[in-house]
Amino acid sequence: MICCGIDIGSVTAKGVLLEESKQIAGAIRFTGYNAGNAAETILQSLLEQAGLKQEQVDAIVATGYGRNSVNFADKALSEIICHAAGAHFAVPAARTVIDIGGQDSKIIRLKENGQVTDFVMNDKCAAGTGRFLEVMARALGTDLDGFGQLSLKSRTPAAISSTCTVFAESEVISLVAKGEKRENIIAGIHASIAARTVALANRVGVVPAVAMTGGVSRNIGVVRALEKHLNLPVIIPENAQLTGAVGAALLAQKGK
Amino acid sequence: MNSTEIIEKFRTAARDPFHCVRSLKKEKHCPVVGYTCTYFPEEIVLAAEAHPLRLFGESGMVLKADAHIQAYGCSLARSVFEDALSGQLDFLDVMAFPHSCDTMQRLSDIWRLNIKNTVHLDLLFPVHLKSEAAGDYLKAVLERFKKELEQALQTEISGSALSGAISLTNRIRSALHSLYRIRAAAPERISGSDLNRVVRGCMILDRSTAADLLETLADELGSVNFPAGKQPVKRLLLSGGACLHPDIHDIIEQQGGAVVWDDLCTGNRYFDTPVPDGPSPVSAIAERFLDRAVCPAKHSGIDRRGKELSELVSKYEINGVIFLLLKFCDPHGFDYPDLKATLEEAGVPSLFLEVESGKPVDGPTRTRVETFLQILNQQEPMT
Repeated sequence: MICCGIDIGSVTAKGVLLEESKQIAGAIRFTGYNAGNAAETILQSLLEQAGLKQEQVDAIVATGYGRNSVNFADKALSEIICHAAGAHFAVPAARTVIDIGGQDSKIIRLKENGQVTDFVMNDKCAAGTGRFLEVMARALGTDLDGFGQLSLKSRTPAAISSTCTVFAESEVISLVAKGEKRENIIAGIHASIAARTVALANRVGVVPAVAMTGGVSRNIGVVRALEKHLNLPVIIPENAQLTGAVGAALLAQKGK
Repeated sequence: MNSTEIIEKFRTAARDPFHCVRSLKKEKHCPVVGYTCTYFPEEIVLAAEAHPLRLFGESGMVLKADAHIQAYGCSLARSVFEDALSGQLDFLDVMAFPHSCDTMQRLSDIWRLNIKNTVHLDLLFPVHLKSEAAGDYLKAVLERFKKELEQALQTEISGSALSGAISLTNRIRSALHSLYRIRAAAPERISGSDLNRVVRGCMILDRSTAADLLETLADELGSVNFPAGKQPVKRLLLSGGACLHPDIHDIIEQQGGAVVWDDLCTGNRYFDTPVPDGPSPVSAIAERFLDRAVCPAKHSGIDRRGKELSELVSKYEINGVIFLLLKFCDPHGFDYPDLKATLEEAGVPSLFLEVESGKPVDGPTRTRVETFLQILNQQEPMT
């Protein structure tokens, strides 16, 4: 059986094709302003990679904030359900999943069988999300790819007290003006994200093993800061950014 | 009048309560008494031949109230005060503040300083409802309110008028209870959003009209035999303050769930427990306030709310509880962790939602509700 998962996030659209439990294609692109078009492009890319036609795909589940714009999907499921399924598939021992995406962060608690028992999401504010990091990278004149590694060089992280993205940006600009080292500022930003995420996680409780998914899991600085605040190792599945799409594809299989 | 026409009357009232009450005042030449909380003796107002109007805050944009109440203050209080500052409540003759929570006490003071064209009354409710003095104290508070209202409206409230008003409000409570029981047995008979509008409409419409409409509606919806088997829906309970977002129900129902009971002041706490029979109508009204489902702004035993919630969950075979809180309601926020823990011990899943008075339900809130229903449905095969 071949199933497809499409995850339309606020920043990137992701998709995978699974043949039973084997991934046979995967794709990522920027979502842009038209979620429906992004989903269509992702699907075509997946079909090309696998050398398949759409009618050969048995079931499609869409997830992510743009899930209801994916007209060709058989079903739309929330990203929390799909991230949980994907994380359980990749890290069966996971009982807590931290997912930090472009504009929201979520903490998901799982049972041994991967079912979600509880979850919590950030509020309307984008502090502590991927968007927050993007704004900070711009303020520091660097790109996101080097952000994580650079922060590991820091010995004395700067204190970032604002949780508001805009006020934190002002704070960062002030620190730059004072001559604070860039790695210290970035480490301070990561510590701020980690503190906010752990406070959110404590609302539902943190039970090991802890896995992390979503685009921000690519940032080693945030991962290390989370480990420090949690006092627990954080496991990053391979292709963590595709976890939601993998979960969607798995749930598509289950539904068939 | 059929059920669709009756429900439409409640929808119209909930959609534009001020227009509804302005028209009523013009037609009946009755004074209007605004109030902010279900700890309010509507019976005394009705006995004075005045019209009680519960204020829910109709202003979505808060432009003037921000100068008086911080943005992180209760969104209901800010919205209600915005209505007053923008002149939308100029038809009120009396504004009454039952001192329920701290915010409403402070709002009363701010209101008194800034809104000058109405008579301003306070009802200093007891906080500890089970203390020895609470009964006598509350009775004195209600007697004082009665006297102040008589002075304000230049009228005299007779014992028989008060007894008549108690009968009328008890009719409303009884009919609402019947409607809730119908919904609990057969959720498809009336949507959750319409039932929410019906309850809110009862606090807006002329109460005799509301009682007649409710009784006809309950008769009509209850006249069809209930289906033998249980409906294949996830049975939910809403717990919180005022539900001013009926579209929450639509999102829940789209995902295969149904709110079959609630613990809201726009629901169960409004109609729970009739005013008992008694030699003194005022004592009987006081007695009801001490006994009815308690609000978190009052103390009635350290674990009473948890016990009441657990009883509702068990009685109505609830699969999950959604805590629906208005931003930034402190009393409900303080109670939430203990109530959640109580439910967890009983193995009942729950979801926490915070919404803002006057603002539509946003995308992340929709995602939370959808996820919660999908979690409850996890055991079932996908369709």
